Amino acid sequence: MRKTILALAVFFTLSLPATADWTPDIEAWNSPQPDQPAAVIVRNATVWTADEAGVLENVDLLVRNGRIAAIGEALDAPRGAVEIDAAGKHVTPGIIDAHSHAAILGGVNEGSRINTSDVRIRDVIDAESINIYRQLAGGVTTINLLHGSANAIGGQMAVIKMRWGADPAGLVFEAAPEGIKFALGENPKQSNWGAEEARYPQTRHGVEQVIRELFQQAADYRAAHENHPSGRAGRDRVPPRPNHQLAAVAEVVYGERDVHSHAYRADEMLALMRVAEAFDFTIQTFQHALEGYKIGPQMAAHGAGASVFIDWWAFKYEAIDGIGFNPALMHEAGVLTGLHSDNAELARRMNLEAAKAVRYGGVDPHDALKMITAFPAEQLGVGDRTGRLAAGLDADFVIWNGHPLSTYSAVEQTWVDGRRYFDREADQRMRAALAEERSELIALALASEEPAAENGETAANDDEFSPGRRTRTASFATHLTGYRASELDHDEYCLLHDH
Amino acid sequence: MITKHSAIALSAALLGLGLLLSGPIRAELTALVGATVHPVSSEAIEHGVVLIEDGLILAVGADLEIPEQATIVDLDGLHLYPGFVHPGTQLGLTEISSVAGTVDTAEMGSINAAVRVEVAFNHDSELLPTSIAGGVLHAHVVPAGGLIRGTSAIMRLDGWSWEEMVVHSPAAMHMAFPPGAASDEDNEDLALINETLEQARHWHAAEQAAERGEAARPPRNDQLQALGPLLAGEVALAIHANGIDVIEAALDWAEQQQFEQLILVANADVQYAAERLAGSGTAVILRGVHSLPVRRWEPYDMAFVAAARLHDAGVQFAISDSGGGMDVANARNLPFHAGSAAAHGLARDAALKSVTLWPAEILGVGDRLGSIEPGKQASLFASTNDPLEPMTQIQHVWIDGVEYDLTRDRGRRLYERYRARTLQAR
Repeated sequence: MRKTILALAVFFTLSLPATADWTPDIEAWNSPQPDQPAAVIVRNATVWTADEAGVLENVDLLVRNGRIAAIGEALDAPRGAVEIDAAGKHVTPGIIDAHSHAAILGGVNEGSRINTSDVRIRDVIDAESINIYRQLAGGVTTINLLHGSANAIGGQMAVIKMRWGADPAGLVFEAAPEGIKFALGENPKQSNWGAEEARYPQTRHGVEQVIRELFQQAADYRAAHENHPSGRAGRDRVPPRPNHQLAAVAEVVYGERDVHSHAYRADEMLALMRVAEAFDFTIQTFQHALEGYKIGPQMAAHGAGASVFIDWWAFKYEAIDGIGFNPALMHEAGVLTGLHSDNAELARRMNLEAAKAVRYGGVDPHDALKMITAFPAEQLGVGDRTGRLAAGLDADFVIWNGHPLSTYSAVEQTWVDGRRYFDREADQRMRAALAEERSELIALALASEEPAAENGETAANDDEFSPGRRTRTASFATHLTGYRASELDHDEYCLLHDH
Repeated sequence: MITKHSAIALSAALLGLGLLLSGPIRAELTALVGATVHPVSSEAIEHGVVLIEDGLILAVGADLEIPEQATIVDLDGLHLYPGFVHPGTQLGLTEISSVAGTVDTAEMGSINAAVRVEVAFNHDSELLPTSIAGGVLHAHVVPAGGLIRGTSAIMRLDGWSWEEMVVHSPAAMHMAFPPGAASDEDNEDLALINETLEQARHWHAAEQAAERGEAARPPRNDQLQALGPLLAGEVALAIHANGIDVIEAALDWAEQQQFEQLILVANADVQYAAERLAGSGTAVILRGVHSLPVRRWEPYDMAFVAAARLHDAGVQFAISDSGGGMDVANARNLPFHAGSAAAHGLARDAALKSVTLWPAEILGVGDRLGSIEPGKQASLFASTNDPLEPMTQIQHVWIDGVEYDLTRDRGRRLYERYRARTLQAR
């Protein structure tokens, strides 16, 4: 026991930044944020820029103070720079997942009113969700945390960087514009809820009507506030009543808050674009957008992007026409197209989802990579900060041990803001240390266990005690499962509602 | 006699009828030439030839003499692989999981031994052409309801009715080991299973006594009757268990029951029982590589490495997906589970076998499916590259020697229709 505590104490004292006022819990894989070296140079790599420069072979990537300083042949590095030999390896931008629920405390849906625009994900970011670390191990560096799709107008989203070890506020990607989740189709109209009391609306045209009415109410609300006289004239009049829901929707109508709308079918997407056009703003993205390929030209003309599952289909009726060729067709039609996970497991292998854009419709591999990097970054309004490898951008990048779209490749290192948050070799060392610590803890726990003491009884006075009865300690393993309720809840929820 | 009870006889009759319907009407000879042939059972052959006669593979080699009457198909630059054999799925039993009327995956109640899935196999399901377009040409179709769940079947995924699509039935009797029995020896569900099996033994003993004229016939009982082939060792028991404590308890139980053929269907936790499984020679169907670690504290690649751990220990195994939920419509992604296992320690040739030859062998059709070898069914595909790579495109499919029309895949149909529309609009 003493040894373990000592080891933990040493571990945290040594690695904790002096300024930190927030400490991760003592749980496996949790660790403080790594340092940011003044300079890092990755040598002799094949660099996929996801930018106009294309794929560059045998070049160096220089990082200074968390930003990309240069990409080129035989670059000079400052003295003391962290040197990484990447000969034979590939470097790509960090993966951007524009649709995630992977680090949210409590429920993902505020499944009550048809409009919950006043609730905010940034209040409930789970900075210790193990999903963050696991997705770093799959090369993910930025995710968009969204509410579920229970309501036509859901809540305010939060774009975070995968700064494992940072506190919830420290995860928030400060450069990301404000955004909000909308939802169309079967989920907001409660097709599969089994709810005892129905909520208006129960049809797609009802959903469209609700949104249109809310837009008008919000525009009126904003106008009432703007028309409230300022200064002496306003002092003697009662100002309009504050309403956080309408205030947030007004930001949408006035183009100050981006809409990312869950949708499957062509009809509902077209309808929302037309409502937005009537209020003179643009839908930023449709999420899932399984039938986007049916209205690619209309989406391109409106300026809506699409963030999609590449091959999920047929799990509900509105997904029956989902096809793997959807990204290829939308890309061809000029729609800004990205691939998302919407799933904490899938998020760890987004490179293989991008590979399927090559399989279905023959998208060029570099463009396919952009669908998980540059394009979703642009959709989230952070395209001038991340998603590409070019001088001046954040040093968010991944080192792969092979072709980044190959099934046989794995992530070796993932860097965010010029900090190494995942390193396969360090991970191997950490698992050895954790295994040792775990066996010590189990030994201690077993040593302290009284036989049959679980129910507050002892063997001696338990009338039903039978010596032949098998007792297993297997339940001990389930005590150590350690998942947060929110992580498990969401999986269960997803099966019922969300996708 | 247990061995001649009517369910088996009926299945055999139906199988026979199926063979008659699809049987050797034509004496056609096809030569697939120019491709790199990957037999799976042996080394790849560059510019190989596969000769197909009446739906069966006649010969495979580099320098085969091609008979004059053969139809020659030039596949220069492509790669030929045997069709994937899905080791466990609800394909054909479900269409849209949220629409109850399209779902026949799970019967109610606890004891469903007499249920056989093939009779509910929707041969025109939209999911089947999509699976075929992904190279999955055969599947082990598995029932999901109750404790004793009924019998599965190996189905060809193309055909004109379920009868002629049955390759092998019953493939296994399925049982869900009750999770609660891992920590409670008085578990009621396990007690019910034990009681049912005991009743079945008595029922068949009584039936045999009646056959010999020594006793009156026992009252008719379809559930007990259906357990006969399992108890006689003619059919394997496929036992479903997830979580190492449940897996261990299931294996303890199965050892006591002394089933002759056992298949364990389990999640990534099965890797923790690898040594024991290798020792007992129990075959494993791994329910998916693309899974999160079972516990928070486990390494991120815990599920990715499970197959490699089984292989290293010498366990006979096949890689599946979860078999249900989202994975049914995406049964076509089976090879990518194997690919991810290969990225995490499983040898590439083993990864390929784990979704072709090994599932065929484990499920009793190793003499007909799973590799490109003389005498096997000519169910294979031509792809642009390694089919465990998602970037690879599958360009031709043959099922029992007949080229499959890939535009039957709903995805490809919609693609062609809307691509024309997109180009027109530009």
